[in-house]
Order: sequence, then C-alpha cells, then structure tokens
Amino acid sequence: MRYSYKEKEVKINRREFLGFAGVIAAVLWTGAYTVTDLIVDRTKYIKMRTAGLYQDDEKQAKRQSHHNQSLLNMYKKMNFQPLSPLAEELFHTHYVDRSVL
Amino acid sequence: MDNNFKGNERILHHSLPVRLFHWCLVLGFLPAGFTGVILFFRPFGEAGMHLAMQVHIVGAWILMVACTLFFLLCPGRVVAFWREAFHWTKQDIEWMKVGGGYPQKMIFLQEIDVPPMGKINSGQKMMGIMVFFGTLLIILTGAVLYFALPLVPKEIAYYADRIHLIVGLGLFLCICGGHIPLGIYNWPEFCSMFGDGTINAKHAAHHHPLWTQNEIEKIKD
Repeated sequence: MRYSYKEKEVKINRREFLGFAGVIAAVLWTGAYTVTDLIVDRTKYIKMRTAGLYQDDEKQAKRQSHHNQSLLNMYKKMNFQPLSPLAEELFHTHYVDRSVL
Repeated sequence: MDNNFKGNERILHHSLPVRLFHWCLVLGFLPAGFTGVILFFRPFGEAGMHLAMQVHIVGAWILMVACTLFFLLCPGRVVAFWREAFHWTKQDIEWMKVGGGYPQKMIFLQEIDVPPMGKINSGQKMMGIMVFFGTLLIILTGAVLYFALPLVPKEIAYYADRIHLIVGLGLFLCICGGHIPLGIYNWPEFCSMFGDGTINAKHAAHHHPLWTQNEIEKIKD
C-alpha cells in the first residue's frame, strides 16, 4: 500500500438523500415544463397565424398575385412587365442568413 | 487523529474516481474554454472557426458525460464537497481577509499565520461554489444551443447564448487566472491530483489540519 491513511467513508443520511433528490427532480421538472410550455405556445401561435392567413385567403375574390387588379394596373401605368429587367431591379430581394445570433 | 505523523507517511488525498473526474475536467473544460474564447473573438477564417466549434463540442461532451457519471456513480463525494463548500465559519472569513496568506508568500516571501482549514480552503470553497453552479449553467445552456436551437423560441435561444457566453468566460478566467496558477504553486497538491492521489501526511497536517484531525483514518493492516 502506498499510503497509510485514507478519508473516512461519507455517509449520506435519509434527509440529505431526499433533499438532493427533491431539488434535482424539481429543477429538472421545472426546466422541462418551462421548455415544453414555451414550445407548445410557439406551435399554438404558428397554427393560429397559419389559420388566419388561410382565412384571409379564403375571403379574397382573387387569390393569386398575377390576378391582382392593382398590380396589373401598376404594370400598365408604369409601362413594364412582370419578370422584366426593371421589375427584377425594383422587386427582387436577396437572402440574408439571420440564423446566427 | 492527533496530527503527529511520521516523516514518510502518506494519506490518500484524492481517490481514483476523483482524479479521473478531474482529468476529464482538464480534457473537457480547457479545450472547450479555449475554443469558446476563439468562437467569441472569431480571429480565424471559416475553416479555423469550424475546427474550433468541433473541438468546443467534443470538449463539451467530455465535460457533460464526466459530470453526469460522477454525480451518478460517486454521490458520496458530491455530498462531501457540498457539505464542505457550503459550511462557512468565522475562520473562513478570517482566511479570506488575508487571502490565505498567499499574497504575503508570493510577493513578500513571508509566511503569516492563517486560520486552520479542512480538506479545501475558503478560496477553494468559493471557487467550488462558482464552478458547481457555473458548470451546471454552461452545460444546460450549451445543451439548449446544441440539441434544441431550431426548436426553442428565439428568446430562450438568446438568453441561453448570453448566459453560456458570460458564465463560460467568467469561469474560464477564474480557472486560468486563479485555480491553475495556485494549483501549480501548491506543487505537492498538484502532484497528488495528477499523480497517484497521495500526499505527505506532514504536509497535509500543515495545510489541512482540520481534515487530518477529523476526517481521515488509519488503514487496517
């Protein structure tokens, strides 16, 4: 044996065990509940938003933008065509990655 | 024990599971901490940053698995640490007031009397509490960022990122600026933790008198 002394065994009494187990269970349960609740909430809002958009869509007489009379009037008045170079220049958007915080 | 040890007697200061856990902290936390600083300052190109992120993730896995296994397999050591780290007396306050005598020793090369300490001194108790809660926070927030980033709402992701950054940087600075230099300065303790876990009994009686008096026992032949 390379040593003559060692630490005494640590004895965990029932009160300490229950305290630790209770605290760990409470932390895990609260964390899991909070995260689950937030995800459920977020999903609920996404579903509500989707339903609202479908509802708006159903109310429209014309549901495609290429049938939109205002847009057709604008193209006629401004004297250019959809997908023309001028339309591309005015309306084309670029992708911006916002996933990085 | 009466603290009257023979010159060459040794005490098992850190058992094998504790030493293995500490090695895992070294191999997990330090690479994760270094790469965390790199990820924060972004000094390299895309390939360098990608490599830093991969090392960060491997370090985090080592840290997470080691902590979980230690908690599950060595609850006795966790409880012993908890009892000691959260047991503060007037002696601890007095010890903190003089910085454990380290400034005097390191700057003026003088030894002053300090209150007797147990297995860990008051500075280690303070550090232990910070590391306990800090590691818990960086593991939890890191797990959110690694496993659940596309699932969690933006606010949770934002706060997980902020907490991970601030607590991680704080811990890394404390470890690199305090724990490692003082650990190396106390060379016998360093050798004990990274070597066979034993320490000279007279050295232990000088540095940890309360521990050698109350918490150790002679091994039965």
